[in-house]
Amino acid sequence: MSARQGFELRHVVHLARPLGRRAGDLEQLRAELLAAPIDALFHHAVQYQLRDPGAEQLCPDDLSAWIGGVVQDAETAERLSFVVQGAQASPETLRAGMLEVLEAVPAKRRAERDAPEGSAFQFHGSVTLSFPTGTVLGEAHEVVDALLEADASVWFFHLVEEPWNTGGRAPLIEWLAARREERLAGWLAEAAASGLPIDKARARVLQRWRRSHIGRRLAEAALTPGAERREAGRQAIANLVRRTPRPERDS
Amino acid sequence: MTLVQTRTDGASLVDGYRAVAGDAPMRALEALARSLRGHRIAMVNSTATGGGVAEILHRLVPLLNELGVPTTWEVMSGDARFHGITKTIHNALHGGPGTLSDADIEHFLATNRRAAAELALDGDLVLIHDPQPAALAELRRTRGQCWLWRCHIDLSRAAPDVLDFVVARVNQYDAAVFSHETFVPPLATPGFLAPPSIDPLSDKNRELTEAEVDDLLDPYGLPAETPLVTQVSRFDRLKDPLGVIEAFTLARRREKAHLVLAGGSADDDPEGAAVLAEVRTRAGARDDITILDLPPDAHLVINALQRRSAVVVQKSLREGFALTVSEALWKRRAVVASAVGGIPLQILHERTGLLVRSVEGCALQIVRLLRDAGLRRRLGREGREHVRDNFLHPREARDYLAIFAHLLARASTSRAG
Repeated sequence: MSARQGFELRHVVHLARPLGRRAGDLEQLRAELLAAPIDALFHHAVQYQLRDPGAEQLCPDDLSAWIGGVVQDAETAERLSFVVQGAQASPETLRAGMLEVLEAVPAKRRAERDAPEGSAFQFHGSVTLSFPTGTVLGEAHEVVDALLEADASVWFFHLVEEPWNTGGRAPLIEWLAARREERLAGWLAEAAASGLPIDKARARVLQRWRRSHIGRRLAEAALTPGAERREAGRQAIANLVRRTPRPERDS
Repeated sequence: MTLVQTRTDGASLVDGYRAVAGDAPMRALEALARSLRGHRIAMVNSTATGGGVAEILHRLVPLLNELGVPTTWEVMSGDARFHGITKTIHNALHGGPGTLSDADIEHFLATNRRAAAELALDGDLVLIHDPQPAALAELRRTRGQCWLWRCHIDLSRAAPDVLDFVVARVNQYDAAVFSHETFVPPLATPGFLAPPSIDPLSDKNRELTEAEVDDLLDPYGLPAETPLVTQVSRFDRLKDPLGVIEAFTLARRREKAHLVLAGGSADDDPEGAAVLAEVRTRAGARDDITILDLPPDAHLVINALQRRSAVVVQKSLREGFALTVSEALWKRRAVVASAVGGIPLQILHERTGLLVRSVEGCALQIVRLLRDAGLRRRLGREGREHVRDNFLHPREARDYLAIFAHLLARASTSRAG
């Protein structure tokens, strides 16, 4: 991609489609996973990140949530969750990782660890619909603000879904690299793969980005009039106060 | 046929939802609506008032218009016989008794033919709700239109003959949308899943002050100092109210609390009345249990009750989607619920609430929550965020727009191919 071209940011919506495949216990889950289409792996073990972008901790993927919450096999759920978070490189890596966890449970026990009636795991496929945000990035430094202000789906589409689809670097990362912003590109890629909820991953990049610009901002601030500096200070304090959490009401 | 007029109070729904759902998701919804510029949506159902579908459409239609996608809502009419037939269809689809005679089928189709002739259907994107107007697609489709059927009901126990009749109608659509995967019958047309949603601006879910909560609950004489454990559900065996009493009784051996079982009026439901009588008998003269048989419009009371509760329970044996769970989560309540139907989509175990599989498990988790205010706060906080991201009306509007955008793109690709 040319460094001169702008980069259009896009939202994404995922439509879930029923596949009519279900698993009532861990053995059936293993058998279904062997043949599950890639869009089902995406829906249950990648796209889940977008459903709770503001969570304190990354919520479990659908399979781990079902094993932990419905089957109530906490150990297998934890192990699967850990593997899913670290195996997003390709559909087959993910599938192999999940199967390995399930196959570590002896076959007889897999069949015994079942769900109550009416609570079988239902496999869904996923249809991706992306559409423009209306924001076209001209300069690399615009990326951080744009990704922070946009809906979480923009981050997810460019930094999680596109690499999953291409099996390599995301077009946004390539675009940044073409503009010699390898460091920012690396931070974004690292944050997207960090296993943090999207809002926390975005905050991490923002923090690094701001730190990296402290020197430049200080130099710029030194050239501004005193009144402007004082106003900027007041604004900073006001922002800090606004962001301080307030005690919550309980029952 | 009636063209339904929605909202006239002038307040911006987009702004209202932006205030509760957040700015970024609403900007995404606006961007999606922009991508459908030039299209018009026509919706049809069978009633303008009463019932969940009408409630949703009274919000959804003005919201879509405000987003710049012109949307109309028409109600198809029918005579008493038609409504009797559609009641039979409704009951049979829910697993109750009922069959359709040839004469019933002919009357159903004749009423749909008349509707097809009379409805304006002023749109290239047509969204039909539930079985009553389901035959319109085969009777009224014109070139270039996208037809979508939205099923709001649970078809998982549907009587096969009646289901076959409905499915034959639905197969004439470009796609069908269901609330939960277990409701999806075998179809020739593509199916999509769009969970139902709650309205954060409605009386049932809007914010209430402490004083309002006090005033609303005052007539019921609930204890002020004792933590409330509440289940809000109609009196139905599948909601397991007796199991809730049993779990509460076990929990009461360890912690002080007061149980409230609040349900809808059972006047027109003989089984509901029987279940309510059983519940009253089981509760006996206990002063730590209150049973509230509330009228159907007691939305503010339910809102207040959920907000005042320390723990909300949904110990169903079987469920459709159970939006009462999202209602409680939206109010930052700690919820203990059975892992059935749509509940595990709303309750992520130990994250947004606690899932249970038995009476003892339910008792255990009630005690755990009564003893740990920090845990209640954490689950309540995460639960509210989970609902904000997944189960509010703007998300349902987004899903419909996205499905239409997908169908248009697919049609365009097939024309080009």
